[in-house]
Amino acid sequence: MRTTSLKPVYFSLLAALVLQMLPWSGIALVMRPEFILLTLLYWTLRAPHLCNIGTAWFAGLVVDLITGGLFGQYALAFALTAFFAVTYQRRLALFNIWQQAGYVFLLLIFTQVTVLILKLFSGGEVPGWEYFFPSISGILLWQFVIFSRINIDGRTNQA
Amino acid sequence: MARAIESQHHTGFFVRGPSATARLFFFAVLSLVLIATDARLHYLVEVRQGFIALLHPLQVIANAPLRLIDDSSQYLHTQTTVVKENIQLKTQALEHAAELQRFQALEVENERLRSLLGAALISSQPARLAEILHMGRDPFSHKIVVNLGSRQGVVAGQAAIDETGVVGQVTRVYPFSSEVTLVTDKELAVPVQVARNGLRAIAFGSGRDATIEMPSLPANVDIRKGDKLITSGIDGIYPAGLAVAEVVMVDTTPDSPFAHIVCKPLAGIENHRQLLIVSIPKAELPASTSTLNTSTSERSKKVAPTKRHANN
Repeated sequence: MRTTSLKPVYFSLLAALVLQMLPWSGIALVMRPEFILLTLLYWTLRAPHLCNIGTAWFAGLVVDLITGGLFGQYALAFALTAFFAVTYQRRLALFNIWQQAGYVFLLLIFTQVTVLILKLFSGGEVPGWEYFFPSISGILLWQFVIFSRINIDGRTNQA
Repeated sequence: MARAIESQHHTGFFVRGPSATARLFFFAVLSLVLIATDARLHYLVEVRQGFIALLHPLQVIANAPLRLIDDSSQYLHTQTTVVKENIQLKTQALEHAAELQRFQALEVENERLRSLLGAALISSQPARLAEILHMGRDPFSHKIVVNLGSRQGVVAGQAAIDETGVVGQVTRVYPFSSEVTLVTDKELAVPVQVARNGLRAIAFGSGRDATIEMPSLPANVDIRKGDKLITSGIDGIYPAGLAVAEVVMVDTTPDSPFAHIVCKPLAGIENHRQLLIVSIPKAELPASTSTLNTSTSERSKKVAPTKRHANN
C-alpha cells in the first residue's frame, strides 16, 4: 500500500525521540544507536514525499536541543544525510536488501563524520574509535527492518 | 505486489516540490546561520530554554520506566535490610553529630579569630540536593543534567559537589533542569591549591579518560604524585577547601619547560545519583561580582592572572 498518512511518520519519530531521551549511561550511552536518524532514514527512503530534507532538519534541531550541543550541527548533518538519501532513493528501491543496508551504513557514518567535523570546528576534542559505535549498532538495528515485513519500498519482504 | 517505487504512482510530473538540491541549500544555510549565531553571539539562550521546557514532559516519560523499577525495588526491600540500614544510619548520624558539635565550636572560634585579625569572614553557603536526570546525550561531552532549574533558583555558575569533592559547575539553566559541566570537561577550569604546600594553580579538564590536567606549570614545580588538590576559593565560585583531585602522574621531560601533570578527580564523577548545588558566595572580593552569569570560557580568562601568580 502506498503510504499517504503523515501520522505514522511523526509517531515513529516521537517514539524514536523518547528512546533517544531514555537515561542512557555508561557503555550503553556509547553504544546507543541514533534512533531518530534511523527512523528518518527509513521514512526518507520509503516515502520521500512525506519525510524529506525539511523533516530531517527539524529532527536534527530537536537532537541539538536534547544533546545541548551547538544549535544547528545535527540539523545540518541530518539535512545533508537526508539529501543523499533522497537523491538515490529511486535507485535504492531496486537494490537488494543487503545493498540497501550497506548504503544506510554509509549514510550513518557520513552523518557522524559531519557532526565530528562541525564539533572540531567549534573546539571539541578528538574522540576515540568508539565514536563510531552508534553507526555499527545502528546498522544492526537496521537488520530489524530487513527481517521484518516493513521493507523500505513498501513490498512485503518474501524474496 | 510488484510495486518497485512508490513515487511512480504519482500522476503529475512536478509533484515533488522544490528540488532536493534547493531544499538542501536552504536548510544548510539556515543551519550554518544557526551555528554561527549560537557559537558567536549567544542569542539563542531563551529559545533553547523554551524548547527544553516544551520537551520536559517527554523527558519525564522517558525517565518513567527506570523510576518505576527503582521505586518498586525500593518498595520490595525486605524488612531486615531496612532495619539494618536504619541502625547503620543512626550510628553514622551520632558520629556526625559529635563531629558537628566540634566543628561548630571551631567555626565560632575561627570566626572570632578572623574578626580579630580583620580578615574577611568566610560565610557558609547553603547547598541544595539535586538529582541527576541523565548523563548528557553526548558521551563525549562530560556533562550531566540535573533536576533543578531556574524555577528552583539555580543560576549558571554555581558549583556542584558531592560528598567527596567537586563534581563540576552549572553551565546552562533551563526552567526545570540544568546542565552541569563536569571537571573533566575540556572547557572547565578550577582554581586549585595543592593541599601539601598551598601552591596555587588552575586545573583544566583534559576531555578524555576522565582526568584533569595542570598545564603551564614549570618543570621544577613542587608537585608530587599523590598530592591532593583542593579548591582555593579565590575565584569566588567554589567554596574554599573542597577536594578536587589527586595527582596521579608528574612527567617532566627535558625538552619541555613545562611539567605534564595528570590528576584523577576525587568526586565520583561517573557513579552517583545525587549531588549538591552550592550557592555562589556573597561577593566580598570585588572580582567575584563579575563571575555571576559568565560563561566558563570567560571565567577561565578571568582567573588567568592567578595562574601567573602561582608560577612566580
